[in-house]
Amino acid sequence: MTRGLWTRETVALLLLAAYLPLMLFWLWFGGAGALAQLGLALLVVAVWHLVFMLVRAQPPSLAAISTALAIAMLAPEGLGAFRMVLGISFGVVMGELVFGGWGRNVVHPATVTLSFLGFGFPGFGWPGFDDPVAWAAIPAALIGVATGVMPLALFAGAGVVAIAAVLAGVLPDPVIFAGGIALVLLVADPVTSPATQLGRVTGGALYAALVVMFAMQWTGAAPVQIAVAAALLTSLVAPLLDEAALALWVAQRRRRHGRT
Amino acid sequence: MAVAISRAGLSPVFPSPPASPDIAEVQTEEAAVRPPVGARLHVTPLVSEGDLVAQGAAVACLRHAPDICFTAPIAGRIARMSLLPGKKLSEVVIFREAGGGVERHATDRADMAGGLRALLQGAGVWPWLRRRPFGGMPAQDETPAAIVVMASDTRPHAPAPQSAVEGRDEDFARGLHALTRMTEGVVIVCGPVAPDLDHDRIRIVPRGGRHPQGSAGICIHQLCPATLDNPVWDIHAEDVAAIGALVETGQLPMTRLVHLAGAALREGRMVRTHPGADLRQLTQHIALPGPHVLMSGSPLDGHVAQWLAPRHRQVTVLPREEAGPRPHWLIAALTRSVIGRPVIPSAALTQAFGGALPAVPFLRALGAGDEETATRLGLLSLLEEDVALADYVLAEGGTLMAQLRALLDRIRTEAAA
Repeated sequence: MTRGLWTRETVALLLLAAYLPLMLFWLWFGGAGALAQLGLALLVVAVWHLVFMLVRAQPPSLAAISTALAIAMLAPEGLGAFRMVLGISFGVVMGELVFGGWGRNVVHPATVTLSFLGFGFPGFGWPGFDDPVAWAAIPAALIGVATGVMPLALFAGAGVVAIAAVLAGVLPDPVIFAGGIALVLLVADPVTSPATQLGRVTGGALYAALVVMFAMQWTGAAPVQIAVAAALLTSLVAPLLDEAALALWVAQRRRRHGRT
Repeated sequence: MAVAISRAGLSPVFPSPPASPDIAEVQTEEAAVRPPVGARLHVTPLVSEGDLVAQGAAVACLRHAPDICFTAPIAGRIARMSLLPGKKLSEVVIFREAGGGVERHATDRADMAGGLRALLQGAGVWPWLRRRPFGGMPAQDETPAAIVVMASDTRPHAPAPQSAVEGRDEDFARGLHALTRMTEGVVIVCGPVAPDLDHDRIRIVPRGGRHPQGSAGICIHQLCPATLDNPVWDIHAEDVAAIGALVETGQLPMTRLVHLAGAALREGRMVRTHPGADLRQLTQHIALPGPHVLMSGSPLDGHVAQWLAPRHRQVTVLPREEAGPRPHWLIAALTRSVIGRPVIPSAALTQAFGGALPAVPFLRALGAGDEETATRLGLLSLLEEDVALADYVLAEGGTLMAQLRALLDRIRTEAAA
């Protein structure tokens, strides 16, 4: 039987291809420290995927690499290996693997990890990004949208709100950079972002609005912390946005046809 | 009035040698009468082995609705009548023989709705109709909420319905008018065929060229959704032209335009043949040497068969894939699992439904067996062939189609209780 291409692993590979510019720029500017951080995250995530493969017969996914990249890039600095291992284990197991692996999770495992590390170890500082690394988020989003693995509507929703906030002068540059990177790495993940067109637009707009609100009201918060908190809330709201969008779609059809 | 044609959908490429533009007329030496795909029907045989039958003569009728007949696609001698346990129709094989003639049906009551219904059921047109929800042919006394005439077929290598009804405008228009007597709702023609029609209940809707825009289920879902109380029928444009000819002459034309395509052919071919044609004879001189599989239907939703299925208009010939050596256990553990892989949302998946419905929530509802959500999103308008493209795109190997059928069967059982 002939088969198409778009399996779970194809999407994971294309996502990885989209993240490539971001990863290369980050590694280039981060040097050996960044490489070690990525290596550690990758090792821990891979070990948990293997454990779930052996114990639960759950096939591992290449999405593990994307998760490791997001964690390595956005995790608080100077945590040390033990805290990192603890945080990643919690995030990957409780955020993804217990639900049945990538594709069945509700929240991005990297978002869970980063939130856990942020709440658990508030004394450690969050990373900042050099301008070229933040700009590399744009080609990443373009590749993702062009290959169809990242939702264009989500970027559109976020972009409209972000442009309005920039014009109003309420969004400082570091927050834009961190917000953009988190948007590509965490929020635009095809699994945990809303699945309907309207849900995606509102989800993107909600994420940007949350970032703006935190930037204005949350005193003392680091840009990455703001972006991660906004990403967590957005992915938790995603099912609700989808449900609302579907209810609207069904109501429209009922009006047009008298039945669904 | 210019109507914008949607560009939604996909154009999956399946290798096939080019077809010559000439259309050959072929009547195969053997032909079979088979029930519609997936249906198990109790029948009463009306002929016995060795009988000589005319083209269009009834060979069997439904046991519980004896007006609905299955008719011989060619004139010949009944060679074999295979029934499954419970007298369910498996196949009736006919050897072609000259001198059988063509059956003529009485058309004097065709102007009345009841007379037309009896004519269509007696002449063997009924199995060419398909109802939704659930598929299969309509019940004997069912009145549809609407009838959709498919003058567009976007499946890969499907023959264009326009060329099938070319030069038969009068028959087609007459057939459409006849169909308006079968329903109190509208008759919707999907596709570019637009004869002169003067009827307030006939609508013409243009469709785009990408699959699944020419898929009957997607058209029905977008134009007139089917529900338990509002069944919708669909029929191919060529069959409508055949109805037009039947109403006029009393003889049902059995020819249909069929495209032979596939990677295991030396050359593609367009033939005008009949339902139940022998696929081995049709592909005999054009198949490449080596093992191959003969499929009735498109590469997406066809099935391995010896005979052309009642509603199919394509034959796909693919090289037979030999099972390779077993992979190493670690590779197998990394790449396979008993639990199916989840569906990951992507633009390809949205386009696999032509953007007609929220693909990801629908597939999640299918996978979870959530009939309420799936019904809300349009399950009752769809059949296996409408999700075949999504199944192909996601490389599910038939899982989606099986899930859809299981859910439909469950809803049918609950509705019947």
